[in-house]
Amino acid sequence: MLSKVVAKLNRKIQLINPDVNLSLKEDCALLTGSSHNWDEIIMIGRMVAKTKKFYGVINDIKLKDFVEPKMRVPSIRDDIYEGMKVDVLVIGGGIVGAAIAREMTKYNLEIALVEKEDDLALHASSRNDGCIHVGIDLNSKTKKLEYLRRSVLVYEKLAQDLDVEYDKVGQIIAFKSNWERLIYLLLKLKIKKNGIQETKFLNREELFKREPNLNKIAKFGVLFGTGACICPYNMTIALAESAVMNGAKVLLSTAVLSMEVKNKEIISVKTNRGRIFPKVVINAAGVFSDIVAEMAEDRFFSIHPRRGTNAILDKKAKDKLMFQSTTIYGGLKKAAKRYTKGGGVIPTVEGNTLVGPTAIETPYREDFATNREEINQIFSKHKNNAPHLHQKDIITYFSGIRAATYEEDFIIQKGKWTKNIVHAAGIQSPGLTAAPAIAEDVAKYTCDILGNVTKNEQFNPIRKGIIRVNKLSYEERNKLILKKPDYGQIVCRCEEISKGEIIDALHRPIVVPTIDAIKKRTRAGMGRCQGGFCQPLVIEIIAKEMKTNRENINKKGDGKILLHPTKGENHE
Amino acid sequence: MNKYDVVVIGGGPAGLAASKSAHKNGAKTLLIEREGELGGILKQCIHDGFGLERFKEKLSGPEYIYNETEELPLELEISLLTYVTNITKTEKGFELILVNRQGINKIETKKIILATGCRERTAKQVSIHGTSPAGVLTAGTAQYYINILGEMPTKTCVILGSGDIGLIMARRITLEGGKVIGVYEAKSTPSGLTRNIVQCLEDYQIPLHLSHTVTKVFGTNRLEAVEISKVDENMQPIKGTEKVVDCDALILSVGLIPENEIAESIGVRINPKTKGPFCDQTLMTSLYGVYCCGNALHVNDLVDYVSESGEIAGENAAKKAEKEERKLIEVKTNQKIMYTVPSLIDLTCITKKTIFYFRSTENYEKQKLVIYGNKEIIFSKKYHVVKPPEMERVEIDLSSVKNLQEIKVILEDE
Repeated sequence: MLSKVVAKLNRKIQLINPDVNLSLKEDCALLTGSSHNWDEIIMIGRMVAKTKKFYGVINDIKLKDFVEPKMRVPSIRDDIYEGMKVDVLVIGGGIVGAAIAREMTKYNLEIALVEKEDDLALHASSRNDGCIHVGIDLNSKTKKLEYLRRSVLVYEKLAQDLDVEYDKVGQIIAFKSNWERLIYLLLKLKIKKNGIQETKFLNREELFKREPNLNKIAKFGVLFGTGACICPYNMTIALAESAVMNGAKVLLSTAVLSMEVKNKEIISVKTNRGRIFPKVVINAAGVFSDIVAEMAEDRFFSIHPRRGTNAILDKKAKDKLMFQSTTIYGGLKKAAKRYTKGGGVIPTVEGNTLVGPTAIETPYREDFATNREEINQIFSKHKNNAPHLHQKDIITYFSGIRAATYEEDFIIQKGKWTKNIVHAAGIQSPGLTAAPAIAEDVAKYTCDILGNVTKNEQFNPIRKGIIRVNKLSYEERNKLILKKPDYGQIVCRCEEISKGEIIDALHRPIVVPTIDAIKKRTRAGMGRCQGGFCQPLVIEIIAKEMKTNRENINKKGDGKILLHPTKGENHE
Repeated sequence: MNKYDVVVIGGGPAGLAASKSAHKNGAKTLLIEREGELGGILKQCIHDGFGLERFKEKLSGPEYIYNETEELPLELEISLLTYVTNITKTEKGFELILVNRQGINKIETKKIILATGCRERTAKQVSIHGTSPAGVLTAGTAQYYINILGEMPTKTCVILGSGDIGLIMARRITLEGGKVIGVYEAKSTPSGLTRNIVQCLEDYQIPLHLSHTVTKVFGTNRLEAVEISKVDENMQPIKGTEKVVDCDALILSVGLIPENEIAESIGVRINPKTKGPFCDQTLMTSLYGVYCCGNALHVNDLVDYVSESGEIAGENAAKKAEKEERKLIEVKTNQKIMYTVPSLIDLTCITKKTIFYFRSTENYEKQKLVIYGNKEIIFSKKYHVVKPPEMERVEIDLSSVKNLQEIKVILEDE
């Protein structure tokens, strides 16, 4: 049966590229050969996945004359974790890994999370648009939708427990001509089918009352009330801190290099800091999740990286932009061809406006470089929604890589061949939204594998974040300053962040004493001057608190800011 | 609640001059500074060249501040390490909420003088792409590291932009033993003062590459190299001209932006040409009782003019009645003038001496500046050359024109 499908697909593939061959690895599709064209490799992978006949699609077609860069690994080499025994080892400190680690602390287990970078949420989990999605763009049979629906029900409470701001602003789809009411009828069916709650039809007047700066061509719209925005890296950090408070270990700058697998069981996991011996491994390695699966001899899928670029605008631009994430419907044909929702003009919880993202297929898993063309692309696209959008309001931009599979769906399951691995792989949008429910299932699968797991009665769901003094009332703020004057000394003038908040960020369950980590936790340096004024002050505060020389304070990783003293400076 | 006649926000040279002059003219004055010391950016400007106009000698930045603060009157209240978190307009004037290590403080004032200075444009505001490693920093931040902290942020660097701070830093880094590979400027003419091009680059054989810009940066954690491209006449990079230069830092001197976020929060109108508020000749903004001076008003090349504008604002803020009718007219200019300060004239308070600052839109040779009041020439001056980086200053007497209705500032071929 499957061999017939393979033969038929191979005939098609031969016409596209005779150097490519499709074969079977049990019930998985295995593509081999080579091509000069990356888009062609992606296209063939998608073509095979579209048949839905295979357990998974492994695309090993090589791009000719391309040497894939090795995974970036921290320079540290030691053996401080050598011989460490744990029940559960979570690989990856993104939103999914952090949510899983926390979920596992609800049980009496020894848990460790390893992350190769020097902080949590450094890649896809911070390089995204922070949307809590509503699920209108998703196919009703996908895992993406299933996990999204379950997560949306619990997200607000979770954010509240973790003291993370959750801004339920809603999302709007607007339509620009009256005949599109027909599409609206189809949309209503989809709303029902996808089980989306809190939707509302908006006539032109209602639409513009909510969105006065929307392109005047809009005629009517649909409001999706469950749409929200959240700070994705603060959510990840909060989940990880909560996990640590409940007994998990978070090991940063720790990269998984290989695994020892015997009789379909992972015995040990080799890292740059020694071998760890886990009972169960959880693969939440994002864009490297297929490589981790390969190490575990359980690779039945492939990741094809897809880059997305977002721009952040000055808070001042907000008045002329929009308050909700609004997209003007772009036509049926365009929608059908897209593999992502298509982004929009989106508010952030902090009051900035975000524009983006793009979706560019790339063979590079860790190429976070931005480029001019993509910025131009997102601006020309979204100008259709918000005519006042202007590049001069940009304060920063960034790129991230989505970990897409050829099936374009999440992989949440126990290992196919290897007994003690659980995959949470192929996570792309709406991964930020879906993380809580994913964590729940992964925890369940893990407990199944472990057997005889008892509940942790001491589990504490509450975690308090760093106080944001400029969000307090004057009275509360005054009281706080009287107790600790550092809260009255403003260090970051653009975002109004005090010395006290920066010191707080250095006394948390997980401490990362770099400029970038402090910036994420406190927002010092996030404003329009981008740290020009406060970076030297933050360096001094970190150096003093960590009792070290300021030349040892890095921007991130081993990226030094200050190299050596000047000639006149006498450092003993 | 403490009540003042004048509150000055910002304790750099503009704010110092403004508060001293407001106090001298009888106003109960408070000077607010967010840092722990007065002086603003001059604290880190250890090179000389300041004060030729005001003190008739060449001073370093700290010396200039020393001169300015030497005889601060005791009655002038100063609040250091203090941040203004909110301003509201009230019936009688303004209410300010201040934050400092002592707590939250509410004060009332009749007038406000904004002397908040400016900030530097960042890498992403000039569309530099690539990764985001350590080692990409503005010239002002580099200056702070070297001159205040005594720490070198680079061994081998590229400087983008030929603004004055960039030129000064090219020399400073060279003197500290660092290597400056070159200064790259997207425009076809330098942005900084000619004297700085000569004294900071030519004297040290540091090459200046005009019509070039940095288009990309490389390096994961620390900068490893930058990509440099030639640009066309619209300052757009020309494809195929890219060149990669190894360096450990990219230092940016790509423009200064007046800081007017507080001004905007109370509805002061901002002039898109200067990025500072529209002001009349008393340096009052579009909002009655709010004045602006120094680099918050427009970016100056000489601190002497910054102090001068502070004095004008301080004196007027102290003398002006609490409420009075204004009759504002716009100062008209021709194409060759980028902007003038003041950009408005209040006809109700014309005096014998009005100071005008202006910049030309391009380099022009053999020019004549003519100022018309109601179509009659009230002032003219010849210039051998005018350039956008070099601000010009003139003093005129507007009181000579009867029934002034219109004022025009024209730059024309001689």
